[in-house]
Amino acid sequence: MKKNKIIMTIIVGLMCLVLFTVMFMQFKTIEETDITAIENMRESELRTAISEWKTKYEETNTKLEETQKSINEYKSKLDKNEEASELVDQELQESNMLLGKTDVYGEGVVVTLSDNEQQKIKASDLIVLINELKYGGAEAISINDIRITNDTEIAFIDNSYIIIGSEQRISSPYVVKAIGNITYLSSVLSLKDSGFIDKYTSSGKTVSFETRKRIDILKYSGDMSTKYINIEEEK
Amino acid sequence: MVFIAIIVGCMLGAIIGIYAPIVPYTYSGYLAIAIIAALDSVFGGIAATLKKNFDLKIFVSGFFGNAILSILLTFLGQKLNVDIYLAAIVVFVGRMFNNLAMIRRYYIEKLATRKAKKE
Repeated sequence: MKKNKIIMTIIVGLMCLVLFTVMFMQFKTIEETDITAIENMRESELRTAISEWKTKYEETNTKLEETQKSINEYKSKLDKNEEASELVDQELQESNMLLGKTDVYGEGVVVTLSDNEQQKIKASDLIVLINELKYGGAEAISINDIRITNDTEIAFIDNSYIIIGSEQRISSPYVVKAIGNITYLSSVLSLKDSGFIDKYTSSGKTVSFETRKRIDILKYSGDMSTKYINIEEEK
Repeated sequence: MVFIAIIVGCMLGAIIGIYAPIVPYTYSGYLAIAIIAALDSVFGGIAATLKKNFDLKIFVSGFFGNAILSILLTFLGQKLNVDIYLAAIVVFVGRMFNNLAMIRRYYIEKLATRKAKKE
């Protein structure tokens, strides 16, 4: 009888232990999950929530893909633009070089005209020389380091001094530099009898001529704005 | 003796339960049903004791059997997409109220007879 009672006591105690252990575990679980408020949701609600999130996720994903695609498109376009702008830059540089807006160098000739006691150098002499040089294929010309551009004029004022490029007064010796093919230039200038050098030295003017492997010609320093010409619009 | 065992068991269980790891939320539903079933058995046991027909074997088998059966039923309901645990709760809690009512009536009658004896 007593043995039975002890067994019963132990069993009841063990059962209480099991019951309370499980109960407190459950309490703790519920308490921990309470924070997220998921606890209030039923499984079906959770499922719909999950599927909603899934669709949202998929939508966002497709959007992301689209955006990435358009980004790639923009990137390729940008690359093309860069190419185009590089081309434009190159063209601009070339135009500037041709126009005389950049410092340039190259092989060429230097012709020096200077006054002597008998003969003074006139503006017309310089104009003739420049024409000759252009004929010989000169790509850039300067007189006393003043760049000769499309709109440079050379004028003789009062039969006494020469101005070029509207206001810059220059005086002897006139150092004319030209960049171009040395062979062409020198052959044009030194033609026997009819060439510039022969003609002018025979008329008593002091002309010296030399060829150089490297000639530096400075850029045009004035401004090149135009007032009256407009670009014809293409039809 | 039995009371001491009950109290010690309860306290030990509470301490172990507090320091035990958390059950995943998915399984806490099963655990809740098991607890309800066990509590039902406990009240049934108390009622049986008062009726003087308490049997330890029935009590223990009811305690664990009901708990396991309710867990299994809940699991089945999950698989069938039917909330069987609701039925289990209704049955267990209903029985718990019945047993509680019996216990209450027993003690009220006891008090009443004691008063009558005093008078």
